[in-house]
Amino acid sequence: MGVLLPIGTRKGLFLLRSDDRETWEVEGPLLEGWAVYHAVVDPRDGTLHACTNNPVYGATVHRSADGGETWERAEELGLPEDGELKLNATWHIEPGRDSELWLGGDPGVLFRSDDGGRTWQLNRALFEHPTRERWQPGAGGMCTHSIQLVGGAIYVAISAAGAFRSDDGGESWTPINKSVAAEFMPDPYPEVGQCVHKLLVHPQRPERLWQQNHCGVYRSDDRGDTWERLDKNGLPTSFGFPLALDPEDPDVAYVIPEQSQEHHYTADGRLGVYRTADGGASWELAASGLPERAWVAVLREGLAFDGDGIYFGTQSGSVWTSPRGKTQWTEAVRDLPPILSVEAAPA
Amino acid sequence: MAIVLLPAVLAAEAGGQKRFELDAATVGEALHQLPVRNLLFDEAGELRRLINVFVDGIDVRGGRLLEEPIRPESEVRVVGAVAGG
Repeated sequence: MGVLLPIGTRKGLFLLRSDDRETWEVEGPLLEGWAVYHAVVDPRDGTLHACTNNPVYGATVHRSADGGETWERAEELGLPEDGELKLNATWHIEPGRDSELWLGGDPGVLFRSDDGGRTWQLNRALFEHPTRERWQPGAGGMCTHSIQLVGGAIYVAISAAGAFRSDDGGESWTPINKSVAAEFMPDPYPEVGQCVHKLLVHPQRPERLWQQNHCGVYRSDDRGDTWERLDKNGLPTSFGFPLALDPEDPDVAYVIPEQSQEHHYTADGRLGVYRTADGGASWELAASGLPERAWVAVLREGLAFDGDGIYFGTQSGSVWTSPRGKTQWTEAVRDLPPILSVEAAPA
Repeated sequence: MAIVLLPAVLAAEAGGQKRFELDAATVGEALHQLPVRNLLFDEAGELRRLINVFVDGIDVRGGRLLEEPIRPESEVRVVGAVAGG
């Protein structure tokens, strides 16, 4: 089966298509003038959704029902008119369980749409969460960047508020940050305030969560109630942004460590993807085909996977792909604008 | 009818139309008739900070902004601030 990669960039959206994952067609830029923080194909109806942001015209979302040829913009999206907070950016769209869509944004907000992305309703329970006054923005703003719906639960992760779980469809949210470090805080293990960079739940083992955090890589086997730190088991640094899993093997995960929280480029001056096949007990460099001397950055939405491959995009405009399991990388395209997000969909 | 001119990004969002002829007594009345009004105004109804409006060549941020009166033959030009890369 062919694959479509929606590539969100600072200068619009690009669509990469391939039947064999060796030769790629590039379409774009679409949504010119917009920084596309994340774009995804809804597997239920094929609609393209994009989180679109512009420094002048604000934060919104666009959708296309015809593969990117024409676009419609959300009609109702924003925070309460009488409040002090405003929607600063849209960060992540996640198709839901039924017909709904979920949208994460800055400042630490979550929206739900029940009309295919035309109008969006604010999740009040997260917006009015009693711990909100202890949240603080990370360098990229206070972004709700991870939304996962697995096993009857909804998980969100916010930088820097931490991870939260809802077992009642979003009516209430429980912080799930126990034993996750926030080394930049006076109390390094607070209830909230952790700077999660990406959180994923394994689709086949819904109690297993992974997160790449500002302060380490973690795995939970109890739906986030407790976490085990894994970056000391062979990663060059604890810092990084993206995270990928293997849809059929819950023990496999991929990360791309960066040098440090001060220096946002790949660790040790090489483009190193690291893979674990034992639940994070050990990590191996899985960089065959990648440049050995490189100082690049892969952002939190920049790494994707499906049943056939792994894909990531760099801030320097390259998209790299590898078959699932084999980890042999080839450069699908280069010289795109700075890449903000990568997703994969059947085509 | 006053003429309102949009920059490229907004014109694309208005279905490719960059020139509008509108009946309006003020800048605010004109902008609120545009199909891109939710890109011009934030959720509190305030004109976004980096949007400038010129009426017949005069920057009305230095004047009454949305209350600025316009004449039937006025040209209202919406300009995004030049910023970023």
